[in-house]
Amino acid sequence: MNEIKITAYKCKKCGHIHYPKHERCLKCKGREFEELKPEGNVKLLAYTQQFNLPWGFDERFLIIGIAQFENGIKALGQIKAESLEGIKTGMVLKPSWEPVRYVYGEPVYGLKFEPL
Amino acid sequence: MRDVAIIGVGMIPFGRRDEDTLVDMLAYASMHALDDAGLGDKGVDAVYVANMGGGILQHQTAVASALVDRLSLLPAAADTVENGPASGASAVKNGVLAVASGYYDTVLVAGGEKMREVTGWKATDFVATLTHPEVEYPYGVTLPGMAGIFTRLYMEKYGLTREMLVAVAIKNQAMGALNPYAHVEMLITQEGILDSPHSVVNNPAMADPLHLYDACPVSDGAAALILCPLEMAQELTKNVPILVAGFGQATDTHTLQEREDPTDLKAVTLAAQQAFKRANLKPSDIDVAELHDAFTILEIAESEHVGFFKKGEGGKAVLAGKTKLGGQIPINVSGGLKARGHPVGGTGVAQLVDLTWQLRHELPKERQVKNAKTGLSVNFGGFGNNVLCFILKRGGK
Repeated sequence: MNEIKITAYKCKKCGHIHYPKHERCLKCKGREFEELKPEGNVKLLAYTQQFNLPWGFDERFLIIGIAQFENGIKALGQIKAESLEGIKTGMVLKPSWEPVRYVYGEPVYGLKFEPL
Repeated sequence: MRDVAIIGVGMIPFGRRDEDTLVDMLAYASMHALDDAGLGDKGVDAVYVANMGGGILQHQTAVASALVDRLSLLPAAADTVENGPASGASAVKNGVLAVASGYYDTVLVAGGEKMREVTGWKATDFVATLTHPEVEYPYGVTLPGMAGIFTRLYMEKYGLTREMLVAVAIKNQAMGALNPYAHVEMLITQEGILDSPHSVVNNPAMADPLHLYDACPVSDGAAALILCPLEMAQELTKNVPILVAGFGQATDTHTLQEREDPTDLKAVTLAAQQAFKRANLKPSDIDVAELHDAFTILEIAESEHVGFFKKGEGGKAVLAGKTKLGGQIPINVSGGLKARGHPVGGTGVAQLVDLTWQLRHELPKERQVKNAKTGLSVNFGGFGNNVLCFILKRGGK
């Protein structure tokens, strides 16, 4: 499996986890962060099946979700499913790092989540 | 600080306007506002133009410089204001601050967008450029997608139903059918878009659980207004002056994923609280509201977050008729973004133009809130990450 190439930032002062990056902590305004890599599976927090896609996507729809890794990092990604059947808030999904779109034929990599 | 009044307003019908350029539309709306204020052959000190996408959609930047020249308002100061879908209210805010500070006496604020000359794919992509460029945009998430995520969470937390969302769409399209400026003038029924077997075809899923009729149309359009110090209003215009009694603006995290509770629209709450404090009013004092219903869910959620209803009660209030004309707090009597349309840079200005007509008691009785004295608008930028709230008051202090 490809490494999941996202980096989150844990505030050294209060422990709040940020993804994406901030110059100051959203909670305590602290400026020092420890880099954090995602760990384990994810829990699905929210999702939708989107039919009106933007320019650059040839799919009929995308299922988009926000999920939380076991070490607390929250991130948005595409869910690998043919429909919403069986997709539920709170379910556990397996994350992977795969092409999420193609720009002029070149893949753009990002997070995908797959039902276990 | 000086009190600031709206003394003239103008709008052009929203919709598909293939024959007009972006600057044409801004110019027509501005001329209506100048004429309405009685400043037709006079100048103004400054011009603020709200536009989100001229650089992307028309390959045209510096729109304010183009407009001030087109209107022969030279050498007035001119600035373009871009703040996503909240550009309109942001431009008005800049105009209000300029007049309140004493730096300028007369200010034209115009807002507009030309979105129909590109395909739906491109228009959707254009609006999605306001999402986070690294952790949201590459995934193909759109504003309807964010609204779908938000709606499902709202349903799970508050028991919101599709029937409640549909009720907003029916109400606002009914009002739009009475508004000659509205993009959508078509009546819809619950049977046609929810109950009957044909509803699957009539009203397909857009971003589950939202469907086609939960969304505003993609529109061309423009609106404009004229500001001056309240103390000068009587000498400049015959119109009833409309006081900008207060405004507020607040921001929230760029991404939805970083919000502790994504169903909590903190920026709406804070912007409204600031506006109410400045105006020395409370939610129950408001007679009419124009809320940013780019999606039906937003009218319901905003009606709760500004304080008209408790959290979780907004949907029930729509079903009970509390938000229709003649109800407890009439919302989007113009048809809202849902029916008037949503030319993104123009919306925040158009909301205040509609409220001004309401507070001047100039609308036909089927759209006029009887004896309206106070009005509130919410212009919702991003997905709630930059929000402005205005409160207007009829006839000065």
